[in-house]
Amino acid sequence: MLKRLYRWLDLRIGVGEIVEKELTGYLLPRNINEWYSLGSVLLVIFALQVITGMLLMIYYVPDADKAFKSVTFIMNEVPYGWLIRLCHAVGSNMMVAVLILHMLSTLLMGSYKAPRELNWVTGFTLLALVQGISLTGYLAPWSQLSFWATTVATNSASAIPVVGPYLVEFLRGGKLVGPPTLGRFFALHAAVLPVVIAAVIGAHLFLLKRTGVSAPPFGREGTATPFEAQQYHYQGHPGGIPFFPNYALQDLASISIYFAVFLAVVFFWPGMPFTPDAFVPADPFKTPAHIKPEWYFLANYQTLKIFPSELLGLSVQAAAMTFLALLPFIDRSPERHPLKRPVFLTLVIAGILLWIALSVWGHLS
Amino acid sequence: MENEGRRKFLGVCVAGATAAAAVAAGYPVFRYLAPRSGQGGAAKLVIPVGELKEGDAKFFEFAGSSAVLIKTQSGELVALSAVCTHLGCIVQWVKEKQQFLCPCHGGQFSTDGTVLGGPPPRPLAKIPLTVTEGNITIG
Ligand code: HEM
Ligand code: FES
Repeated sequence: MLKRLYRWLDLRIGVGEIVEKELTGYLLPRNINEWYSLGSVLLVIFALQVITGMLLMIYYVPDADKAFKSVTFIMNEVPYGWLIRLCHAVGSNMMVAVLILHMLSTLLMGSYKAPRELNWVTGFTLLALVQGISLTGYLAPWSQLSFWATTVATNSASAIPVVGPYLVEFLRGGKLVGPPTLGRFFALHAAVLPVVIAAVIGAHLFLLKRTGVSAPPFGREGTATPFEAQQYHYQGHPGGIPFFPNYALQDLASISIYFAVFLAVVFFWPGMPFTPDAFVPADPFKTPAHIKPEWYFLANYQTLKIFPSELLGLSVQAAAMTFLALLPFIDRSPERHPLKRPVFLTLVIAGILLWIALSVWGHLS
Repeated sequence: MENEGRRKFLGVCVAGATAAAAVAAGYPVFRYLAPRSGQGGAAKLVIPVGELKEGDAKFFEFAGSSAVLIKTQSGELVALSAVCTHLGCIVQWVKEKQQFLCPCHGGQFSTDGTVLGGPPPRPLAKIPLTVTEGNITIG
């Protein structure tokens, strides 16, 4: 039955040719490793965020008077509403975590180097966009946590000289966070950013299709394959393993492991995305005692706190982010094996430790 | 040939696991989307007799749908479903003619729900009512 359908389609639109070119005949380096499957995991997570987000929109009301009630209704009254909401909230955290892993793997394997600079740049853009979609979504439940986290986050822009104060007002749609903020944040969260992210993912994958996947720097071949910018050429892997079925199975395995972890959090640690302030409706006249951003913003939060001037703290972060974003244009040696790049490796490890230390400090302070 | 057997076995396992996962994900989503029962409003309603004059009609929500109560000029009380039996528009009361008109395709019904003209295939459904001590209990 399926075979006949396949043949029917093949005779008309030549699916066989596509399968041959993109799946069974799409060859990957023989020494490819598990880390290359994180991109597929991210695609699945993004799809899941889109689906659960659409489902939430059925009952969620983006109105300052009704938002908190509608979310409580989803959690307590709608059958399996808690499941959909938790998948969305936990999923957003997991997405940032997997995004960081994907980024670290391409960082450590030097996959960002020529000719894949644009892959890195679009990837970095995705990181920023995903942080943006998380930040704007955080306001949606209109809880004390939403309200004050957004107040603090938007307020940090006020340190920017000259335009800062106006920028804050512009972001909020008013002097303080209020109903107009919910309107614009929700539009960004549910309409603008998903489309932009989908488009940038498209660009990210398109670039990958044009450059070809990188060979890992470990094992068989030489690790430094210099890229000669004389003429465009696709980096294929003749004699490699086919994407389907070999690597598709790795993708499937990684996605399954991801789901195991993700569902374990959803079912056994449902409080992960929340603090007690998440269960109290927003009150613009009452700041709760400890307002902290989500874990992946803790380092930024702490950096802002330790510098004597907010402007300085903001500038340091902007400089670090710009450095990371432009890394492929700064670090241009062809060597990709991390152990053959001791300075680089030291810097990466120091950077990770610094980030973790700042986050823990931010959490405890 | 041993490979063939293995391949088939694995294929069946993957298909089975996929089907199980689809059901496990599909059921909550279906329940989430399914209309909530017991949300349709009261299935019994009390209206004071004095609220309605001869020749008037009163529309109200009944058991999650629309219904209408009329007092004919002879003083008789009738409760009907207000959902047109053609394509489900809500009928209107035309006081001057003492009959219902469906604005969608011009269906006409009498005060007891019988079709007087237009496309509706069936009369409007009757809803039982009782009158006790000045109160009309519908349903
Ligand atoms: C929504 C977020 C993202 C999605 C859906 C995504 C998806 C993918 C996919 C499917 C691949 C191909 C397979 C693989 O190597 O994993 C890939 C490759 C790559 N990604 Fe991402 N990615 C995302 C974010 C990022 C970020 C944040 C970075 C780094 C800043 C990044 C950098 C790269 C690089 C350099 C490659 C090329 C790897 C190679 O050819 O060896 N991506 N991405
Ligand atoms: S729906 Fe009433 S006449 Fe067609």
